[in-house]
Amino acid sequence: MPGGPAGGGPAAWPATGAGAATSGAATFAGAWAKAVSGTSYLPMTQAQLEALLCRLAQDLAAALLAEPFDLRAGQRVGAELVAAHIASAEGLGRTVEVVQLRLVRDLGLVADDVEDRMARLLAAVATGYARALRDRTLDEQESIRRAAMTARAEAERALRASEARFRHQATHDPLTGLPNRALFTERLAAAVNTPGRAADRVGLCFLDLDRFKRINDSYGHQVGDALLTMVADRFRRALDGHLVARLGGDAFVVLIENTGGTRDVIAVAEAALAAVHEPALVAGHEVAVTASVGLVERQVAGTSPGELMRAADCTMHWAKSAGGDCWELYDAERHHRQLARQALSAAIPAALERGEFFLDYQPLASLRDGRLIGVEALVRWRHPQLGVLRPDSFIDLAEETGLIVPLGGWVLAEACRAAGTWSASGGAAPFVSVNLAVRQVHRPGLVQEVRTLLRHTGLPPERLQLEITESTMMSTAEEPVRALRVLADLGVRIAIDDFGTGYCNLAYLRDLPVTELKVAGEFVAGLRTPEARADERILASLVSLAHALDLTVTAEGVETAGQAERLRAIGCDAGQGWHFGRPEPADRILARLS
Amino acid sequence: MGRPNWAPDEIDIERPSVARMYDYYLGGSHNFAVDRAAAQAMVAAVPEAPLMAQANRAFLRRAVQFLVDAGVRQFLDIGSGIPTVGNVHEIAQRAAPDARVVYVDVDPVAVAHSREILAGNDGATIVQEDLRHPERIVDHPDVRRLIDFDRPVAVLIVAVLHFVPDDDRPAELLRTLRDALAPDSWLVLSQASADGRGDDERAEAEAVYRRTDNPLWIRSRSELTALFDGFELVEPGVVWVPQWRPESPESAEEAERSAFIGGVGRLGG
Ligand SMILES: C[S@@+](CC[C@H](N)C(=O)[O-])C[C@H]1O[C@@H](n2cnc3c(N)ncnc32)[C@H](O)[C@@H]1O
Repeated sequence: MPGGPAGGGPAAWPATGAGAATSGAATFAGAWAKAVSGTSYLPMTQAQLEALLCRLAQDLAAALLAEPFDLRAGQRVGAELVAAHIASAEGLGRTVEVVQLRLVRDLGLVADDVEDRMARLLAAVATGYARALRDRTLDEQESIRRAAMTARAEAERALRASEARFRHQATHDPLTGLPNRALFTERLAAAVNTPGRAADRVGLCFLDLDRFKRINDSYGHQVGDALLTMVADRFRRALDGHLVARLGGDAFVVLIENTGGTRDVIAVAEAALAAVHEPALVAGHEVAVTASVGLVERQVAGTSPGELMRAADCTMHWAKSAGGDCWELYDAERHHRQLARQALSAAIPAALERGEFFLDYQPLASLRDGRLIGVEALVRWRHPQLGVLRPDSFIDLAEETGLIVPLGGWVLAEACRAAGTWSASGGAAPFVSVNLAVRQVHRPGLVQEVRTLLRHTGLPPERLQLEITESTMMSTAEEPVRALRVLADLGVRIAIDDFGTGYCNLAYLRDLPVTELKVAGEFVAGLRTPEARADERILASLVSLAHALDLTVTAEGVETAGQAERLRAIGCDAGQGWHFGRPEPADRILARLS
Repeated sequence: MGRPNWAPDEIDIERPSVARMYDYYLGGSHNFAVDRAAAQAMVAAVPEAPLMAQANRAFLRRAVQFLVDAGVRQFLDIGSGIPTVGNVHEIAQRAAPDARVVYVDVDPVAVAHSREILAGNDGATIVQEDLRHPERIVDHPDVRRLIDFDRPVAVLIVAVLHFVPDDDRPAELLRTLRDALAPDSWLVLSQASADGRGDDERAEAEAVYRRTDNPLWIRSRSELTALFDGFELVEPGVVWVPQWRPESPESAEEAERSAFIGGVGRLGG
């Protein structure tokens, strides 16, 4: 009912009529608007504000004159002001002031008790206003607090999410997305160290791709990385339910908890090998992938994560040595043997320095007259804890590690030194035969080394025999052949050791500076029985062939007089073996000579 | 103890927020005791502070109305603050119900509050982002969802640039935004200026805002004008905000008391 005259009240609009009242209301609204502007932000145009206040002015005028006087009308106006954002203490103060001073006058209102009514009306406006302002303030406070809480919760959530992200980054391999070593170590430790799990069994499957470096080298790292990612995905799929981690490089490991026995880890290994086997097309290249797998499975009690990892890693290397593309199961005894061997080979340099090695000699006798023509030098190790060790317990190790070079050098020097002191009453002193390892023959300084030794010891070259294996000569390198030729030209005897066990190709002997063949003991062993005609025939043809090539033949492993007799009959030149004497210190052999 | 750099910022309501101080100047109650204390300190230093805020907010209202009248239907309001009264979407959507408004603010409480206010409004949303990463703003999926950058957009950066010091290279930030805009887009800028004010007053005001996360960076009219680079200022150019297309001559009186300068520019084709 804005603007309209109140229908029938105690007071009347002034006689000037509704038009004048409206213009009066407008004038008043202008003054009111001016009074409240700046008390708070009013989200409207000046015109909108004045229109609003004009309507409220008319409501106030109506309320002032209404009969009976209605407090609620004044309160409503107060609330409307607040709703229109004319909502501040100043806004109320200015409103009271302007209404009190100007409403009656500007609108030309006439009533008996106007002052009285005005006081009550303003009280009602103030009440409505204060109430609305309080509600609004409380609402706003509540909403801003809620917003702060929401923002806090959101920040907490974001913090947790980034913590989770951070933890994920710290515990996963960025390339494959698999758990990394840190997470694996944590989970393995939990599996092994959690109280109450001592009776459980646990297994590890340690996987290493075969020849991965070659893939990386020939196709580039990108292909290598793509392959790792693909293999990782396959493991994830094939080994679902087990923790698969990438330890770095091309090494992966699977944790198998609550195993019931070795067959559980073997099943995992086979699934993994099969997964690797699927043909792989990486960046357009068909790549064949295989892996070597080490397995360990045991009761939790009494083991530790470190021990399990070492065992699995070591076992994986067994699979590698076996050619890869297979699994091996941990074997404590084998492991201990390996450790012992490693310890032994590590001790060789110090043993050389302390003089723990010494030589025994085994006679080489002429089959014609039984005369001692030479001795083979055999190295022994007087180990402080293990006693005297024979070469078969440490020569392989020395060859693997390259320690054969200093050790073999010592043997050669010692043999030359000793032989230089031997003199024979009557006939010629025996020659000394020394084994040379592949690495020694391939070393560039061999000729110089032998020359120097001969000069220093005074040993005539023809009293030195170097024994090399067939395989030494199988390499295509020319240098060793040249070196042997120089040595042969000096007069040094060159023998092929263990002839017949390896490649056994007589043709190549023609081109080599070889003077003697030592026929492996196993051929001789066949002569033990009288019926072994086949072995005898092979041996006979071997001997005649050797003789045709101008080589002498020594038979190894001669144990009986019968064997010696038959070898002699075949035409074999010399023999070596228990029948002629076991390895002994030189002085004892020499003593028998004289 | 510092937070690790991967951790998001904490919500610290023990520190005054410029968004809530501004709400206090406008007469709102969306603020906490710390905000009121800081705002009161500001009022003690610069008694017209509430008037300034109101004048700025009124400028924002007139500018939006002007843009709606010019046919703009997309608004990107960066540094939108606590939605108290007279929000951009209210003004724009009242005049044009299909108008789309995306608010952007760094203040997480302001963002949470806006989100609540805007719930159910399909044409308006809020994104928490920093004006100093304009590329993230224009690439933000929520921004892209509501705003079609092939059509004109009005970018509003109102009462925000005085929180962006020159070290943050505001000209570059604005250039990045400009490069994302279609021809006939608009830029509305306003910020605090100390032109014609004493050094004391300026120093005191700056001291108050050093308590917040947003120290004040006052600019002169020519500095702000330079930031409209690439835009063509509409009449009357960069002026004290009450002088910008006032509703009545009286409302532009004593305009310099507002301490806010502002203007509206249009991106040429
Ligand atoms: C004074 S209010 C202005 C509100 C609104 N634009 C107006 O003029 O009525 C300033 C707002 O800018 C925000 N702000 C300050 N620095 C900012 C930045 N770098 N990026 C985005 N928002 C920012 C503050 O959080 C605050 O909400």
